[in-house]
Amino acid sequence: MDGPDLTFSALVAARLLLAYAPLPEALKHDHQLSSPLTSYSRLREGIYLFEHGIDPYSGGSFRHSPLLLSLFSTVLPLTPYTSPLLWTAADAVAAWALVRIWRLRTGAKTTSRDGQVAAMYLLNPYIFLPSLALSSSSIESALALLALMFACRGRASASLLTLACLWHLSLPSLLLLAPILLLLITRPVSRLALPQPLGADLKRTLPLLAEFSAYSMLLTFASTLVCGNWDWVEKTWGASLTLPDLTPNPGLWWYFFTEMFDHFRPFFLMVFSVHLLIYIVPICVKFQHDFLYAAFVLIGVLALFKPYPTLSDPGLFISMFSLFPEIYPYLRHPIVTALIHLHASLLLPLFNSLWLRQGTGNANFFYASTLVFGVGNGAALLDAIWAGLRIAIGKVEDGYEVVQE
Amino acid sequence: MLRAIPAIRRRLRGGGDPNAARIRRRQALANKAWQGLPYIRIVLFTVGYLWLLAIPSSQFGQRTYIDENALQPGQVHTYWSWNDVHRADRVLEDLERLRDQNATSNEIANYAVGEFEKIGIPARIQHYSFDTVDGVLEGTNAYAVMQSPRASGAEAIVISASWLSRTGEGDGTLNLRGVATVISLAQYLKKYSLWAKDLVFVISDGYLDGMQAWITTYHGAAQPNLHAEPLTLSSGVIWTAINVDYPGHSFSHLGIFFEGLNGRLPNQDLLNSVSLIARHTGGVPVLVHDHVDPRDTPNTPSILPAWLPEALKSNADVQEYAVRARNIVRHMNYQARGAASGVHGLLHRFRIDAITVFAVPATGPHGFHSLGKILESSLRTMNNLLERLHASFFFFLLVGPGTFMKIGSYLPSVILVGTAMLFSGLGEWVNAGWTLASPPPLGGDEKTEKASAHTSWVQRPRPVLQAVSIMAATHLLGVLLFYALNSGLVPSTVIFLLFAILPVLALQLVSSPAPPSAPLATVLKAFNLCFASAVISITSVLNFSLAAALAVFMGLPLTVASSSPSQPKRVVKYALYSVLALGWLVLCPEETRKAIWNWEVLEVWFAPFICIVYTPLVLQAALACSLP
Amino acid sequence: MRWLSCWRASLVLVLHLAAVGAASEQFDEDLTIRPLRDGKLSARFSFSTLLKDATPRDPQQLSSDDEAQHYTLFPLALGQILREYAVTELHLTLNAGKWNYDAWGYPEEPGVGTGAELWAWMGESIPASVDQRWQGLRNALAGLFCASLGHLDEQRTTSPALTFQPEGSLPNFTYPHQLRHATLPSEHVCTENLTPFLKLLPCKSLSGIASLLNPHRLFDADWHGLGVHVRYREDVGVEVRLTFQAIFDPVRYSQEKRRDWSLRSVFDRSIERACPVARSSKVRVELPRGPSPYSITPDPTAIIDGVATYVVDASEEALDVAMRWPTEDTFEYPNTSEAPPLTELSVRRTLKGTNQAEAQLTLVITNNLPVQVTTGYLETMPWLLQFYLHTLRAHVNGVARDDLVSILSYTPPVPHSRPALLQAVLTLPPSSTLHLTMDVVKPFLRYTEHQPDAQRGWDLPPAVLVPFAFGEGQNGTVAAAHGRRPRRMYTPIMLVDLATPDFSMPYNVIIMSCTLIALIFGSVFNLLTRKFVVVRVSPASDAQAAAEQRQQQR
Repeated sequence: MDGPDLTFSALVAARLLLAYAPLPEALKHDHQLSSPLTSYSRLREGIYLFEHGIDPYSGGSFRHSPLLLSLFSTVLPLTPYTSPLLWTAADAVAAWALVRIWRLRTGAKTTSRDGQVAAMYLLNPYIFLPSLALSSSSIESALALLALMFACRGRASASLLTLACLWHLSLPSLLLLAPILLLLITRPVSRLALPQPLGADLKRTLPLLAEFSAYSMLLTFASTLVCGNWDWVEKTWGASLTLPDLTPNPGLWWYFFTEMFDHFRPFFLMVFSVHLLIYIVPICVKFQHDFLYAAFVLIGVLALFKPYPTLSDPGLFISMFSLFPEIYPYLRHPIVTALIHLHASLLLPLFNSLWLRQGTGNANFFYASTLVFGVGNGAALLDAIWAGLRIAIGKVEDGYEVVQE
Repeated sequence: MLRAIPAIRRRLRGGGDPNAARIRRRQALANKAWQGLPYIRIVLFTVGYLWLLAIPSSQFGQRTYIDENALQPGQVHTYWSWNDVHRADRVLEDLERLRDQNATSNEIANYAVGEFEKIGIPARIQHYSFDTVDGVLEGTNAYAVMQSPRASGAEAIVISASWLSRTGEGDGTLNLRGVATVISLAQYLKKYSLWAKDLVFVISDGYLDGMQAWITTYHGAAQPNLHAEPLTLSSGVIWTAINVDYPGHSFSHLGIFFEGLNGRLPNQDLLNSVSLIARHTGGVPVLVHDHVDPRDTPNTPSILPAWLPEALKSNADVQEYAVRARNIVRHMNYQARGAASGVHGLLHRFRIDAITVFAVPATGPHGFHSLGKILESSLRTMNNLLERLHASFFFFLLVGPGTFMKIGSYLPSVILVGTAMLFSGLGEWVNAGWTLASPPPLGGDEKTEKASAHTSWVQRPRPVLQAVSIMAATHLLGVLLFYALNSGLVPSTVIFLLFAILPVLALQLVSSPAPPSAPLATVLKAFNLCFASAVISITSVLNFSLAAALAVFMGLPLTVASSSPSQPKRVVKYALYSVLALGWLVLCPEETRKAIWNWEVLEVWFAPFICIVYTPLVLQAALACSLP
Repeated sequence: MRWLSCWRASLVLVLHLAAVGAASEQFDEDLTIRPLRDGKLSARFSFSTLLKDATPRDPQQLSSDDEAQHYTLFPLALGQILREYAVTELHLTLNAGKWNYDAWGYPEEPGVGTGAELWAWMGESIPASVDQRWQGLRNALAGLFCASLGHLDEQRTTSPALTFQPEGSLPNFTYPHQLRHATLPSEHVCTENLTPFLKLLPCKSLSGIASLLNPHRLFDADWHGLGVHVRYREDVGVEVRLTFQAIFDPVRYSQEKRRDWSLRSVFDRSIERACPVARSSKVRVELPRGPSPYSITPDPTAIIDGVATYVVDASEEALDVAMRWPTEDTFEYPNTSEAPPLTELSVRRTLKGTNQAEAQLTLVITNNLPVQVTTGYLETMPWLLQFYLHTLRAHVNGVARDDLVSILSYTPPVPHSRPALLQAVLTLPPSSTLHLTMDVVKPFLRYTEHQPDAQRGWDLPPAVLVPFAFGEGQNGTVAAAHGRRPRRMYTPIMLVDLATPDFSMPYNVIIMSCTLIALIFGSVFNLLTRKFVVVRVSPASDAQAAAEQRQQQR
């Protein structure tokens, strides 16, 4: 057992200890850590109803995917003892996938940074707090990283199957389909510094696309068999499109649609949903020399504009920074971004409790903090895009500057 | 004509490439900002601190007013009469008898329950016990729930009196007349059918512990070290509560105490209405806390220091300043420590707006009669409420009974200090990143931090990772410190020495970065300042007083903290900063003990905050000094 | 003078009605007065009109015209509504206050839930579905009684058939009958509801027992409620019963704190004359069983097992029943902690926790009998409070006893549309207390869905308990041991405060959010679309100069 593996297992062990540490129950209800689509209590409720012969999708509170429902009601029962283990395992798998991606990117068997990359994920508060709250968003992050990892290794079927599962868990992650398909026909090594037009033939993605749709079809039918009807579609995927549950979260949607006039609601719902799709093509075109980076940027977009984000979505984005050390010197305002994130991450919980627990502040307090958080994430996203493009120019000597025109 | 346009454009844009021009402009601006930075910092600091000092001045502040229209304070005719006063006197006699035969809290509670039952109000007792570091704390509460006619029982008002008065923070002075008032008030209020909410009467044992036990059980909140009987009578949601404290024989002024746990304040409408009622219905002058204004009571000593020249002492503005300053300092002392200034403070945690009316002991002229009228009218006002008090009236600074400051008028002071620290931190950050001597390092190593912006400077790697890990380590150390204090086993001097020495020793483990990269001290200081400023400016919204205290204790010290070439100097600096960080352990052990007690019994966040946030931050500054 | 004319009018009425009415319609009224142990006085007015040999309308005939209806005593306004919406059985209660079962025992009229409660049995039909008619019915009643029953919409309507069995009989129509039930706990009852109520009486409040219904006193009572009950009795006819129930507090009224009462002291009126069309008109007074001696005047017509009955006849002198306890100089309240509760069960239902996002629902049920009691438990909860059923826990003095709870049916709520319906059976061990706790979540509403007084929160309907099996009745289906039909117990209502958005913000929020999104969108596409160029900014020299400056700043 050599250095990196040792550090890795040490980190996982630490996380396991943390998972079993006596933590306040309030963590599970925290709005930053788990959204209505990923909340552990709602998952438990759904499983309870399912096991007592009541269709969980007939009500409004349970919005998890039927996959999770069937998984946790049969194979992996959720108990106070197993759940922390499962969620820590999910994080461990995700971190391992991240390290594998890093190795595949560098092409080295083991590198000195493996430990750092793993730590960047396992010790990232945005990652481990939601997983302590047993929010199923940790599972989504794990699936996303797995799909990317398989794609980097060129394992098409595995990658597409994972992606299909991810898609069933959260509809917006469909954004990752394009970069992953393209990643499968290219190689994950870093070409940011020397961009070149896409060499591979796009037609090769068509069979992969077919395969993906086959998998998702399969899963859809499986889910319908589990539930016995199609209600789950409207309850799980529909939720991300119609936003029926306005529980606060760090994202930009909830307060907007709390305050929205009823007759404009459908229009803006459409705008917000379609807006997500706009980013796919340009980013994939611009980063056609490095689709892993494109996927990374799209994950950043998701973290920012998802309907029901939790902290683990920006967490995933931030952790993935560790895959691209070459861009660090070209980031524009890292310290500013970091400070905004610091303020936002302090403001979110405080203003949430000020509004909902103490009752001295009102909703605008928390809304303001989510705006700050959005600005922070946006700054991070812009930094990433800028650095990813700027690196191609390389260093310039004194008296010269790089600008866009 | 057309040929003229490019010329004009050139004139506007300056010659050459527009991009270059734009960048030059930006660089010039950046350079200006950079040159100005020290002055900006100084200005921000001075303005911030001066603002803090200026808060009590008579120029600030505005008259209080009632925001919620439903309250209608003092609009009702009160019927509290001398018969009721006599009844209160009779109850008082019984209570005094109980006191003389120093009855157990059980007997007292049973007496109160008996009195309530006699007038047809269901009443029960509640035993409770806390186990704390100082041992077990036991007592018995008595409470009664009067179901109002035609009320659904979904809302309730609490009228409470604790057995111990708040005099000297519960130094043993009995609140006999307060208890008598509540009991006789219950007899009196039963006669009327106009109550829209249930009335809950609580005679809580001890000073704070009794009410804490009762209200915690009422809301079913779990508290590990509290063992309390479940309540067998229940009512609905409590919006407002009023706590009666009447220790003396009779009173001259009515003091209003409003600070709650963790710096939470009640809605200002409540205390404004009560003070309005006190002045108009009861004809009793109102005070903030129990500060009698020396100007309208001749034979009280002046609160101005003796060494001031007469001219100043007689100056009206100075006197006003002194009076207000006294109120604000008292208020900040409560709020910063997160301590409750009375029994009411415990209710704030449950979104109940509550205050204590404190009958300031004196030889008259007021007694049960005026207090009863004031309470009756206040309760009628609370009864008028159709909604929870919600106007954003929770952030205020009550400088005088009729004068207050809006958040906008005092918050900037602290924010300015925070901003100054932020700028200093950013300045340090830039300093750390740039040098002229060293050759440009190769990118790729993630310790090399990012090029800050568009300039032709040679940059050097910044040891970010070490700095961050040092900060994390200090905060973990803070957690250890907190547990060490909670255990109460280790004497505080030992803890002080231990936690003062530990960081330096631990520091030896950290490999200080190689010459090309920036000195660790600079980066550490930069991060330390940024983090501290974030903490201050965010705390200021939750608990202004705490933020102000932090601004005073951390603002300048952290900014001036810097390493120095000579070893002994560094040691001295480190010693000084560690005293600033941990000195409270040895200098004010009593406060420490109280803070821990507050954490254990009342779940006040002050102690953990100091241990886990304040101390580590200052320790980081100390380390920044000790580093070469 | 006015009185005289009135009197004449009613006399004419009598002669007229005596001819027509008596044949097909009957009107009986009675007043039951019950002194309570805590010095209070329970009074129940009941006015029942029977439409002989009438049957409810079959909803299948709704398309065709209804046969003509001729009412003389039967309230026409109500009758029309019943025919129009083909209602077989109807129960409407409007109550104010919290019924104190422990001290007052079971009420004569079981429906004492705070606020408005409406439930009806209607036959399903093709032309007009039950739900359409239910909507029409509640709107019509809202108009009739000036109550905001229109709010009893599908967000509050459930069908808890186990708890609300028909009190009459259901004719067998083409399709089976269905139950619709809804409660509106925040409805306040006052004069504007009483006036239309009195209008439905044949003698209004001019004569007979109804003349005691004096708004000034009724609405000063500790508890009051009015009810309308329509049922179909096989082979007898359709019966409408208008009831008014109130709890008075004579001790509060009297200066010297005595519990003596008389009709005049309580209602500030006495019965001047009988209602001429009433077939029977009685005042019943339940005689106290307590040790302290009492006197009752005038002498009752009859005393049957502890109940004194007065027949209100056309006699000229006014009837003013009075009861005195001569030996008491002031009333001694019984000690509530020692006096045993008057009902089998004592229930407390509260919402713990003050967080606006989640809370805990606790139900504390004490079984006061030495035998095991099995009770039905019904929650009809609007989606304003959503249960986490998997957290439902039962404890008996600290020991977990989840086996005591068996859930019969649960319909999860649907936000913005449907309430939750939870029907369970609780088994209560002899003379013990059952603690039921369940976590609940509070949803977040759109700003258009909040009430005008949003900060007050929402009143939640009472839960209903039906103790139906006593003694060793293990299986829930055993009929009540005491032979009488099971009686409903209503818990107090609750107030839930939901988090509110800022109602003045819509435009600001739309502007700010959109600005942020547009900003990021714009910058991203800026970066993606514009091309990078390297420009020569300045000779290195002035960079050097800037450098020196910077050095000096250090």
